[in-house]
Amino acid sequence: MNFKSRIVSIILSATLLAGAAGALPQAAAPGAAPAAAVPAAVPVPAAAGAPTAAAPDAAVPTAPDAAAAAPAADAPPADFKTLDQEVQGLKKDVIDLNKDLFVLEEELLFPANTQVAVYVSMDVGSFFALDSVTVKIDNKEVKNYLYTAREADALLKGGVQQIYLGNLKVGKHELVAFFTGKGPVERNYRRGATINFDKGVGAKYLELKISDKVPKHQPEFTIKDWE
Amino acid sequence: MRRVLLIAGLVFGAAWVTPLSAAAPTMVGKDAPDFVLKAVDGTNLRLSEFRGQVVLVNFWARWAGDSRQEMPALNRINTTYERAGLVVLGISVDEDLRRARDFADSMKVSYPIMFDTGSDLGRDYLLQKMPMTILVDRSGVVRYSHVGFKRGDDRIYLEQIRELLRE
Repeated sequence: MNFKSRIVSIILSATLLAGAAGALPQAAAPGAAPAAAVPAAVPVPAAAGAPTAAAPDAAVPTAPDAAAAAPAADAPPADFKTLDQEVQGLKKDVIDLNKDLFVLEEELLFPANTQVAVYVSMDVGSFFALDSVTVKIDNKEVKNYLYTAREADALLKGGVQQIYLGNLKVGKHELVAFFTGKGPVERNYRRGATINFDKGVGAKYLELKISDKVPKHQPEFTIKDWE
Repeated sequence: MRRVLLIAGLVFGAAWVTPLSAAAPTMVGKDAPDFVLKAVDGTNLRLSEFRGQVVLVNFWARWAGDSRQEMPALNRINTTYERAGLVVLGISVDEDLRRARDFADSMKVSYPIMFDTGSDLGRDYLLQKMPMTILVDRSGVVRYSHVGFKRGDDRIYLEQIRELLRE
């Protein structure tokens, strides 16, 4: 029985605590109008300084303030407008910060001095349906990319894909690219292209270009070094 | 009285703790890792290109007996719900490509069968046992994960697919 009464007392105190917790937000509300309560719940606008008139009213929900809050309730749109503008401003700041972070990350991970970027482009492509590209730099495979029909179509429409971004030290290097796909008359086709390039100080950009060699009815694979 | 409560506490405690500690990690609730694989017909398929559709990814192996039962069931589901926006992808994890291809041909399924020749996909999807079936919702999040297959599981798949298609 003694144990039972302890359980009952624990349940009762838990219920009372839950009730009190539920009542807390309601206790703050009756004094102030709902519009005045909004800036109090969001500390950022108050710190920014714009809704300073509304903030003290909401912070001290005493009886005279409650009376003062009544006329403030007539002008909630202005408060909401400033709040909305500030939220929009904050969103813009977040986007800007995100962009800066991305640029910083890229500069840190791939500093311009050692950066090498490889792009893929297709010009016409009537004699070749691209399936995959394998990129090897200094005899080490750095990328193997399978193209879906949609991706190959995007390249045919003029899209340029960054297939690889990495780091290389200054000096002489060799890049070999293997192109796999369907050649003329739906035949399996695999060709390679090689370029020896000198990596100096500054970023290096290379373009793997697939084009049509019309007189020979064959595709052509070239690698262009963008100085 | 105290003894009864102690026993009840132990039973409840065991029931609460055991599933948590024994449960293997799954991908449920996480973004489905993207992949691109070559299908039997030679086309390359990328998971992220099916965003906006409900995708059922079935990892199977020729040596897993349950796969033999599951694939016809998945084929029926595919033929029924394909028009409603369901995509079924079968991925073989067999090392022997030729035999896996022969097995896939013998099953005569209408959905695309692909072959995972690398090992990253199994690691990305936390594969535990074959077959393993994963349901990805329209926004690319793994919503359900099923390990193994037993008779009647296809009904559970159907309920979950209907739920995801309604979203």
